Amino acid sequence: MTASLMNSDRTYDVIVVGGGHAGSEAAAAAARIGARTLLITPDLARVGQMSCNPAIGGIAKGVVAREVDALGGIMGRATDAARIQFRMLNRSKGPAVWSPRAQCDRELYPIGVRKGLDEVPGLHLCEDMVTGLLMEEGRAAGVRAGAGEFRARAVVVTAGTFLRGRIHIGGDASVGAGRVGEAPSIELAEELEARGLEIARFKTGTPPRIDGRSVDFTRTERQDGDPLDFRFSSYVRENIPAQRPCWITWTGAGLREVVERNLHRSALFGGEISGRGPRYCPSIEDKIIRFPDAPRHQVFLEPEGLETTELYVNGLSTSLPADVQVEFLHTIPGLEHVEVTRVGYAIEYDYFPPHQLRHTLEVRAFPGLYFAGQINGTTGYEEAAGQGLMAGANAALRVLGRAPFVLERDEAYIGVLIDDLITKGTDEPYRLFTSRAEFRLLLRQDNTSRRLGPRAREIGLLTEMQSEALGTLEEREARVRRWFVETMIQPADVNPLLQECGSSAIRQSVRASQLLKRPEVPASGLANAGGAKFHPATDADALAAVEIEIKYEGYVRREAERAKNLRKQAEFELPQELPYEELLSLSFEAREKLARVRPSSLAQAGRIPGVSPADLQSLILEVRRWRRNPPMTAAAKK
Amino acid sequence: MTDEPSSRLPELAVDTIAALATAPGLSAIALVRMSGPEAFRVLRALTPDQDDPAPRTAALRSITKGEGGDLLDRALVTAFPRPDSYTGEDMVEISCHGGWLVPRLILDACLAMGARLAEPGEFTRRAVLHGKMDLVQAEAVLDLIEGRSKAQHDAALFQVERGLSRRIAELREQLVTVEAYLAHHIDFPEEDEGPVTVDRVVDAAAGLREALEQLLETAPEGELLREGAVTVLAGPPNSGKSSLYNALLGEERAIVTDVPGTTRDALESVISIGGFPFRLVDTAGLRDSDDRVEELGIEVARRYLDRADLVLFCVESPGDLGSAEREFLAGLADVPTILLRTKVDLAPGDRASEDPQDGDRASLANVREIVDVSVVDGTGLGRLQAILPELVYGGLVRTGASVPALTRARQSEAVRKARDQVVAFMEALDEETPVAVASALLRPAETALEELLGVISTDEILDRVFREFCIGK
Ligand SMILES: Cc1cc2nc3c(=O)[nH]c(=O)nc-3n(C[C@H](O)[C@H](O)[C@H](O)COP(=O)(O)OP(=O)(O)OC[C@H]3O[C@@H](n4cnc5c(N)ncnc54)[C@H](O)[C@@H]3O)c2cc1C
Ligand SMILES: Nc1nc2c(ncn2[C@@H]2O[C@H](COP(=O)(O)OP(=O)(O)OP(=O)(O)O)[C@@H](O)[C@H]2O)c(=O)[nH]1
Ligand SMILES: [Mg+2]
Repeated sequence: MTASLMNSDRTYDVIVVGGGHAGSEAAAAAARIGARTLLITPDLARVGQMSCNPAIGGIAKGVVAREVDALGGIMGRATDAARIQFRMLNRSKGPAVWSPRAQCDRELYPIGVRKGLDEVPGLHLCEDMVTGLLMEEGRAAGVRAGAGEFRARAVVVTAGTFLRGRIHIGGDASVGAGRVGEAPSIELAEELEARGLEIARFKTGTPPRIDGRSVDFTRTERQDGDPLDFRFSSYVRENIPAQRPCWITWTGAGLREVVERNLHRSALFGGEISGRGPRYCPSIEDKIIRFPDAPRHQVFLEPEGLETTELYVNGLSTSLPADVQVEFLHTIPGLEHVEVTRVGYAIEYDYFPPHQLRHTLEVRAFPGLYFAGQINGTTGYEEAAGQGLMAGANAALRVLGRAPFVLERDEAYIGVLIDDLITKGTDEPYRLFTSRAEFRLLLRQDNTSRRLGPRAREIGLLTEMQSEALGTLEEREARVRRWFVETMIQPADVNPLLQECGSSAIRQSVRASQLLKRPEVPASGLANAGGAKFHPATDADALAAVEIEIKYEGYVRREAERAKNLRKQAEFELPQELPYEELLSLSFEAREKLARVRPSSLAQAGRIPGVSPADLQSLILEVRRWRRNPPMTAAAKK
Repeated sequence: MTDEPSSRLPELAVDTIAALATAPGLSAIALVRMSGPEAFRVLRALTPDQDDPAPRTAALRSITKGEGGDLLDRALVTAFPRPDSYTGEDMVEISCHGGWLVPRLILDACLAMGARLAEPGEFTRRAVLHGKMDLVQAEAVLDLIEGRSKAQHDAALFQVERGLSRRIAELREQLVTVEAYLAHHIDFPEEDEGPVTVDRVVDAAAGLREALEQLLETAPEGELLREGAVTVLAGPPNSGKSSLYNALLGEERAIVTDVPGTTRDALESVISIGGFPFRLVDTAGLRDSDDRVEELGIEVARRYLDRADLVLFCVESPGDLGSAEREFLAGLADVPTILLRTKVDLAPGDRASEDPQDGDRASLANVREIVDVSVVDGTGLGRLQAILPELVYGGLVRTGASVPALTRARQSEAVRKARDQVVAFMEALDEETPVAVASALLRPAETALEELLGVISTDEILDRVFREFCIGK
């Protein structure tokens, strides 16, 4: 795309700061909706770069990657085109929690992202570092960068781990950086803080990379991917690269001894790092200290790409000095003579506690300013991408004077993510789990395009091509569903299958949907037995969806009902200007929390930790009272 | 009280309530209570030109109808600034002289100064709203006030001290643990210790079901503890029912004559036997009657029998059980019954031979005990009083009433709902429903227990996972 410098008046509808996973999706979404959009990032060659493990997906995250795709985003396609190992996690636990995960080629993934950006008309890219924001009358009005000012009516900041980023390798060496080898963003952080935004600090870490040629694979366990023709993208079928295995090995007493002996040299334990880190992604130092009884810890050696012999040592994130890293690696079976290509490190960075945002990801204090990604206290590419897409879309919708786009908790993991951030806040880097969602039977990976596609189309997030693909998909799904509901299967055709599944034989012809209700009978088997001509790849989603929706109809229906009830509560709106401090019928804790979060509905208020059902009851009364008599209260307040 | 918070918040966020906290009528002292943001202002208005009392310290004050108003009483006044008060709001207690007039005048003065008459239970309701106690505790406070037996008093006091709440909280904890295992099973399939096996989930769920069952088993006795066990004296006319009623009450409440058909309408009293509450009911003797009034009385008796927790069936000794009586006893289905052979002072002799024959047992299936009694010489009354609590409150008699017991339908409904959901969850797993699907059944169980306590869940499940397992690929 043409560089923005060609644009003489330097005025856009939306400016996106940062070309990471949040920024790319934000810029693409804003432009697809029809906003003239500028993406500014210091190094265009690193757009969509994977800072940590080159893997997309996993539990809940895999569903988010597919949701981003269903909403017209880039992540799904880029993953398909870059994946060198694929696994469907949780396959044994039923389709409700199947979670796709892909190991990606570190070089191919950013190429896919860049391709996704280049295809969007109305999106301009610019290589520069943003140092400040332009504000007019308390509203976002553009940005200040090395090359001067750029104006826009909405700005989306997605600076990732760069805000006052500081890297630690061992206790003594510490440098300001957003990622290894990249400058941190200091002025922007300082300016946002000076404008009165609450700011806090988190930390995270990354493990060392090693040279695969120095690994003795005979001492490790090979883990191949699932040979599935699976695609993250519902709309496009990218070509999938050659596949590679991962390798599993274990740490033991030797590693424990090395780590314990050198603990004082760790940046995390030497006291150099103050920020909080994620409990689910602990450093090896953490694991050794917190679980003294665990005899060993699993280590995954994951390929970084097709054209490189580098391996990512998953499970050994650390902030110990380089020599200690080499020493502990050498205690691990298969890695006795391993060569380290890049050392592991820890990074500390600023984030903005997300209770300062609205559900559109707009900063409450500054209309037109949006935050997305790691700077909201999350971690993970998928979490960043999901937020980026929503922030970019809402920035564009705002500028175009259209209604905001918010996903509810029963609609998407993205909805759960954003609502959790705003309502519950984060005291450690936030990542998604299925247990964060109260409706995980509804939020599946197989139905993302059906859940979100139509809304995306309506808003304008889908290209014509995607929209057409959605139409085809809907038709095919309907056809699969209809087949199960209408087809009678003959005993002779299906009894061998039933016997194989340990299910009792039938004597008369039975409807396919009836047989599908048996927990032990799979949909794909029935389709084959009944002579249905489903395409195993393009109809995989439909089959999975039909399977769970027919087999567990009662469960899905009940969950949908619970979701509906929650919606009813959500319909009870809470006025933004409610003077919570003065609502003495609420508990002190509830008043404080409510004043901080300023929930928009009763349902949201109920999700705030510390707000009890009794508080909610009083809140209803208070709102009714307040609605009858708002001016007096407001006047008395002044 | 110069810096008391309510003066800084002039606008009425909630109103201030006032009520007479002691029963109206002749008494040495009475207590008028106020709660709400205006409580201290109202107190000042009633005690013009006098110092504010120090917090939580009783002070003698002249109470008037307000500035320049008549003196109403000299009374002890205590102020409790929020949040350290019963309701969690600013509170005032005025201990004044009792009787019909003084408390009423003081209360009226409070109302005239801007307080509103409290609704029944409103002080406690506000305490719940302000998190001073949970719902189960609040219910126990009411039980404590209404309690009429030692056992009920013990149980209520135990619950006011959070005994039952704590038990329910523990059950909820157990449920959260099951969900944490599930979360680990689903959300961390590749972790060091390997996924939690389904067996481990099932074991934890089984333990939880067991614990819920146990608590649920306390419900029948617990609920009777609040209401009193409905204990109906029934039997043929003139068999001595009213005499027994009086004997158990210790006062001559029912009319006793030697004319059969004396008792017409039913009489009911709550009495404490062995520390446990019983609602003793005297009814009209059962027989075919042409007398319209007696017929109606018998109708009432039958209705009482329908909801009886226990029947004391009286027949005159040594008279045999007639077929009508046997038919009646058989009709009582599964209501536990004590067969009382009355007036034994008139028929001394060998009783063993008079015990019903084995062939008769069928019609007496629900007869738990046979007791010979006499109100004249007191035979059997002591035994009867020993049997009654054992028969109705066996469990609590053994453990004492200071145990977590469900005493209200609201409580047992919630626990039953939780139990049913856990059972459904286990059945679903048994039928090989995938865990992720079956787990949908546990949320409602959690909701049920949370609503019971009035708490709301947070991210406890994940917290537990991280505490118990080494996570981190
Ligand atoms: C060392 C390390 C370890 C990590 N470990 C994990 C992990 O274990 N698990 C996990 O899930 N995730 C981990 N991550 C996080 C993961 O990389 C991020 O969650 C994800 O990349 C966040 O996406 P983002 O778009 O918010 O930010 P980033 O991907 O960080 O992108 C930020 C972009 O903004 C640009 N930028 C910054 N400041 C400016 C400015 N002032 N002007 C213009 N452009 C600017 C940057 O150049 C960059 O392109 C780790 C990240 C790092 C750095
Ligand atoms: N000797 C003796 N007489 C008794 C005893 N109990 C009751 N009586 C007498 O039996 C008569 C009937 O007693 P009630 O108590 O009125 O009998 P009831 O069953 O209530 O009679 P109805 O109300 O008419 O159905 C009265 O004259 C009593 O004094 C007893 O234990 N010993
Ligand atoms: Mg009588």
